[in-house]
Amino acid sequence: MNVFKKEMKANVTSLIIWCCAQVFIIYAGMMKYQGFADSNVDMSKLMAGFPKEIMLIFGVGSVDLTKVAGFYSVFFLYFMLLAAIHAVMFGAVAVSREERDHCADFLYTKPIRRFQIIMPKLIAGVINILIFNMVTFGASVFFISLHNNGDGLFSQVSVTMLALFILQLFFLALGAMFGAVLKNTKLATSVSGACILGFFLVSVAVDLYDKLAFLEIITPFKYFEGSTLMIDEQLSFPSAVILLIVSLILFTLTFFAFNKRDLKT
Amino acid sequence: MNVIEINQLTKYYGKHRGIENVSFSVEEGEIFGFIGPNGSGKSTTIRALLSLIHPTSGSATIWGRDCIKYGSELRRDIGYLPSEVFYYEHMKVIEVLNYSASFYDNVDYTRIQTLADVMDLDLNKRIDDLSYGNKKKVGIVQGLLHEPKLIILDEPTGGLDPLMQQKFFDLIRTENKKGATVLFSSHILSEVQKLCGRVAIIKDGTIVKIENIRDMQKHNYKKFTLEYKGLIDVHHFNLEGITNLTLNENTLHFLFKGDINRIVARLQDQALLNLLVEEPSLEEIFMHYYQKED
Repeated sequence: MNVFKKEMKANVTSLIIWCCAQVFIIYAGMMKYQGFADSNVDMSKLMAGFPKEIMLIFGVGSVDLTKVAGFYSVFFLYFMLLAAIHAVMFGAVAVSREERDHCADFLYTKPIRRFQIIMPKLIAGVINILIFNMVTFGASVFFISLHNNGDGLFSQVSVTMLALFILQLFFLALGAMFGAVLKNTKLATSVSGACILGFFLVSVAVDLYDKLAFLEIITPFKYFEGSTLMIDEQLSFPSAVILLIVSLILFTLTFFAFNKRDLKT
Repeated sequence: MNVIEINQLTKYYGKHRGIENVSFSVEEGEIFGFIGPNGSGKSTTIRALLSLIHPTSGSATIWGRDCIKYGSELRRDIGYLPSEVFYYEHMKVIEVLNYSASFYDNVDYTRIQTLADVMDLDLNKRIDDLSYGNKKKVGIVQGLLHEPKLIILDEPTGGLDPLMQQKFFDLIRTENKKGATVLFSSHILSEVQKLCGRVAIIKDGTIVKIENIRDMQKHNYKKFTLEYKGLIDVHHFNLEGITNLTLNENTLHFLFKGDINRIVARLQDQALLNLLVEEPSLEEIFMHYYQKED
């Protein structure tokens, strides 16, 4: 319990900043929708004028941007990116924090086993990503309802947030695994960041070149599509199962690797 | 009964040597010194005892139980002061100490205040406002607050002024009288001399010697200073038992361990101006262990 509290406390400021940033993005995004809707321009025609590649990179595929659900679904790409960075960094730092701050000798000479330290840290991580997810949820429903005659599209957003949470869990596990395996926090966070960039680039490449479709399997960003979640209200079951299993494997790896680790002063 | 038993303990960091075949044991109730220069493997040995690192081979037991396997249970009764004291910077001293205490059962929280008073430590300061010496004091209180039966100190006096060192030594002696066993690592010999009964000397990752500190100082070594009139033939003193031989213009210094008559025999027919035979300081005795063999 003490380790858990400590970890929650250590992350409180960063969590508030992340949540504020997220709320602001949703607010600003939905303001733009208002602009779209008010302008009376035929959006479909305007959009058709842009090269397909550009639209894909910004996550605007074939969805109808003049509908609030379609417009909102474009955000999913950004939510995924932000939530992924937040979760992966949390995992990487939480596991290696004591070594970074040179107080491993303090914490790991206490009469508890290493997994009794890593476990509450990871639970704190799950709580943190859940709060981030809930804030995204609340802000989304609130701002959508402002622009949609009071209808917050509650059920569509719920499905989207569930998908987001599964992704967050995966990235928390990935970060934690890097934190446990790699030499130090700096390396763990860099590799985690590189991974996210890599996943993102692959997902863009898959969108651009049909021939690369087989790569979909290696990037978690392709496991869920914003439009399927928001418009069809469907969560890909196989994707969810695969991500959860991989997360479980990564968490297990974290525990094993950390147990074998030689801690630095 | 032995509290600590280290048997052929070896640790390699990749190809880099940490320690090699370190063996020694610490008996219940003694204050055991662990002496060696920086980088000789003192901290590596201690960190293996606390299962912070995993040995490459060999074993270490505390109270007869394996350090790695039973680490978490053993650590209930171990107090540890690391050589580099770092704590969560943004926390207050009292918060760190309470956090530390929260890991132990049945901690007497008034002891934090008592120990802090002895060490003259302000509990309400933030860790990042503390000087190195004051952080060390936090480490001392943190290491002793749960009344451990085994106290492991890794270069504990760095940063403490002489008065505080004295208070700290008194504290350790009190704990020792109450029954605690102490493993005291240092590279400063005078403090080991003050406190410890037996000592292990470590150099380049291997134990060079384990000796009773008083025997070592009183019975074995003599320090010779020979002043000559003219040229000195250094080879004349190429004798077994002579160490730390240094030539300084017309003066020859060396330490000798063994039958004193052999030196006396060598001194015959030598053109001496002066001769001095003294008790060496521990520093001088240790010097030849410290010097690297090329």
